[in-house]
Amino acid sequence: MSERRGSLYLLTGLILGLGIGLIYSLRIYPVEYTDISPALLSPRDKDQYRALIAVAYLANRDLLRARARLALLKDEDTYSALAAQAQRWLAEGKPADEARALGLLAADLLRSQATLLAPTVTMTTTPTPLAGAPPSPSSPNPIPPSPSPTSSVASTPFASPQPNSTFQTSFILRKRESVCDPALGKGLIIVYVWDAQGNELPGVELMVSWEGGEDRFFTGLKPELGLGYADFSVREGVVYSVRVASGGEPALNLSAPTCTAANGETFPGVWILEFMQE
Amino acid sequence: MLGRWVRFVIAIALGAAAGIGYGWVLAPAPAAEHAASDLRIDYRSDVVLMVAEAYASDQNLAAALARLSFLNHPQPAEVIQEAIHFGERYGYSDTDLQKMRSLLAAIETLTPLVGTSAP
Repeated sequence: MSERRGSLYLLTGLILGLGIGLIYSLRIYPVEYTDISPALLSPRDKDQYRALIAVAYLANRDLLRARARLALLKDEDTYSALAAQAQRWLAEGKPADEARALGLLAADLLRSQATLLAPTVTMTTTPTPLAGAPPSPSSPNPIPPSPSPTSSVASTPFASPQPNSTFQTSFILRKRESVCDPALGKGLIIVYVWDAQGNELPGVELMVSWEGGEDRFFTGLKPELGLGYADFSVREGVVYSVRVASGGEPALNLSAPTCTAANGETFPGVWILEFMQE
Repeated sequence: MLGRWVRFVIAIALGAAAGIGYGWVLAPAPAAEHAASDLRIDYRSDVVLMVAEAYASDQNLAAALARLSFLNHPQPAEVIQEAIHFGERYGYSDTDLQKMRSLLAAIETLTPLVGTSAP
């Protein structure tokens, strides 16, 4: 009995000490992080970092560099993170050029992945680590401060449309069709934008206006539905017009078509518009 | 033979060491709430380079300043200078350095950097 009591006081001491140690190390004097990598940023700052990568990409069209920078964030799915943020950016009223850049980068990443999967393409995308940079405990430094001649050549297969070249031309309305198919969605204006060669164009700004209001949206923010795809939710009874912001033929008098389902219920249908570069 | 009190204190010390080891090494405080100002110098420099790349394209100084505020530094010009020095030391390309210098020059026209020595 007395031996048991002896071991109990030791156990009590251990538990007491453990509690003191935990309070001290987690509350009073927790680990402080300095010199962190982008992967350790708060979600809000990660978004900001991602937006910066996208606007820099919009400026330099260097996908290799953008890819290396995005890798620092250690997103599970880089493309989804970009596309989702592009949507969120627009919804939250953040700068439209940043939303467009995010969507365009997502689309170009997706396109480059498809290129990489092609059997004829063989290339290395690992950027050269920064020589002499401070070591990182968690990851090698993938910042590509200056693309070497080799990396420029290597990035050629990723080449994207040159900035502004597509957005400053005008577009013709090639197709305008109302569809009653709940599988496509309800109360939507769906837009596809193509270049003169018939390739889908991401990052094209579209203007939608109605009596007393105006908004804009971009193609390529849902690359899983097509790089030239964009959609806009409409309200029943409101008449909209849509055009490509850079100019061209508008689609006028668009109000959600009234459709009847098989069970007799009505629902707002979908407008499908196709704009093609002249 | 150690007295009971001495053994009790040793037990507390061992427990405290285990607790501190757990809190500092095994399961430190969550690391997901850090600000961009805590970024390592090479990452901060790359942020500046991204802003400079965008500025070189759009020449929008207001947007550049807003983007630099991400680093939460009261003197944007100092951050850019720091990035330029880092880039010069670690072999950034002349093009990249030039973009950062252009951004610095544009910002210094608004807010001359205190303490910048003349050549």
